[in-house]
Amino acid sequence: MLIVIDPHSGVPVYRQLMDQIKFHIASGLLKPGDELPSTRTLSADLGINPMTISKAYSYLERDDVIDRRPGLPLVVKAVPDEQFKDRKLDQLKESLAPTVRIVRQLDIDDEEVIAILRAMLCEGEDEA
Amino acid sequence: MTAIAFDNVYRAYQPGEYVLQGVSFRVTEGEVVGLLGKNGAGKTTLLRLALGLLEPQKGSVRVFGQNPRRDAATVKQRIGYVAEDQDLPPFLTVNQVIELHRCLYPAWDDRLVQSLGARFRLPASARVGQLSKGQARQVALLCAVAHRPDLLLLDEPAGGLDPAARREFLEASIELLNENGTTIIFSSHHLTDVERMARRVVMIQSGYLYLDTEADELQEGYSLAVIPAGVVVDPDRLLELHDCLGVRPRRGSVHAIFRCPPANCQSLLVRKLGITNARCVSLALEEMFVELVGSIEPLDQSITSARVQGSPGESSNWKREPAGGWS
Repeated sequence: MLIVIDPHSGVPVYRQLMDQIKFHIASGLLKPGDELPSTRTLSADLGINPMTISKAYSYLERDDVIDRRPGLPLVVKAVPDEQFKDRKLDQLKESLAPTVRIVRQLDIDDEEVIAILRAMLCEGEDEA
Repeated sequence: MTAIAFDNVYRAYQPGEYVLQGVSFRVTEGEVVGLLGKNGAGKTTLLRLALGLLEPQKGSVRVFGQNPRRDAATVKQRIGYVAEDQDLPPFLTVNQVIELHRCLYPAWDDRLVQSLGARFRLPASARVGQLSKGQARQVALLCAVAHRPDLLLLDEPAGGLDPAARREFLEASIELLNENGTTIIFSSHHLTDVERMARRVVMIQSGYLYLDTEADELQEGYSLAVIPAGVVVDPDRLLELHDCLGVRPRRGSVHAIFRCPPANCQSLLVRKLGITNARCVSLALEEMFVELVGSIEPLDQSITSARVQGSPGESSNWKREPAGGWS
C-alpha cells in the first residue's frame, strides 16, 4: 500500500495514515473487501510505532471506513454508491480548503478563481 | 504496570548544582517515550539513575517496583541499555563482545543474535576498533536486546549514524516492540525519529520536567503564532493570554506558542488583542522543540516575571521555573 509518512508536516502520524487510507479508498486504489496490512507489518514497513497504526485503524473503524473481524485482517468496508460519491467530494473539499484560504489571502475575485480552475482542468484533459 | 517511576528526583554532580531538581514521571509497561531536552538538560542522568549507575540525592527511582541500586542484579536482567558514548573494548572481536554479554544474561537469545547479526551484516571476526561508527552502534544494540529486555533505555541511539543506518536501528527496535511489548525510553535529537517511534514525549529543561504529553496531542493541540513585524505587541499582553506558553521575539516579528489548535489561536488573537494578520500554524516536533527551548530563556526580565507568575488555567503539564531560576 502506498503510504508515505512526512514527519515534518506538523500533522500527527496517525492522522496522516487515516487521510491517506481514506484517499486511497476514494480514489479506488483500495476497493471494498480489500485487506489492510496488519499493524505489525505496516509498523515495520513504515518504521513507526505499532500503537500509532492501531490508533489510526480504530478511528477508521469508528468512521465506518473499515471493518474489523475477529482474528482476520481488517478490510475496506463496502458503502452504497451515493455515499461513496459523497466521500469523494469530501476528499476534494478537504484538499481545496487550503486553496480557499490562499484565495482569500491574495484577495482574488471568485470568478477569476473559477476561471483558473476551469482552464487548469482543460489542460489536464489535453495531457490525458 | 509501571515500568519506571521517578519520584521527585534530585541529582547534583557538584554540591548545590542540581542537574535534576524534583523530576517526577511514570512510564507504563509497553509505552514508548521520547526524552527530549537540550544538551546538558539531564537526559543521560535520568537514564543512568534508572540503571542504578547513579543514586538520587533526594527522591526515589523505581524500576518494575524495585530499587535499581539495591536490587541491582534483578533490575539489570530486565533492562537493555545503549549508552550515548558506548565504549566497547576496541581490541575484542564482535563475537567476543557478544560472548562477553552472553555470559551475563541467562535469558540470552542466540537466535535473535543470529538474525540481527545477519540483518546488520556485522563482520563477526572483525575487531570492534575496526568497525564503522554505525556498526559499533549496531553491536551495542544487539548486546542490549539479545536478552529480550522488558525495558530498553536508548541514549542518543542514532548519534552519528547515517539516515539509512538510523532507520535500520529504528526498525530493529520497533520489531522488538512488536514481539515483546518492550517498554522503550529513548533520548534523541533526531526529532523525526521521535515522531515515528514515540507515543509520548517528555521534555526536560534546566533540571525540571518541562513538558509531558502525547506526541499526537503536541501536534494537534498546540500552535505557533507568527505576528509580523510592524504589529506593535507587548509580550506581556500575549503571555497574559491563558493559552500562551512562551513568546520569542525574532527580528521584528514575534513568535508565540499557544496550547490550542491554530484556528482557536487565530480567533483568540483577534478577539483579545485585535491582531488580525498573525499566521497560526501547527508544528512539527522539531520546530516545536526549537520554539519551546528558545522561548524558555526570555530576553527581557518582564517576560520572565509574566511566565513565572503563570495564569490559573495553564496546563499542569507545563512546569515553569520558580522566580530567580533563570540565569
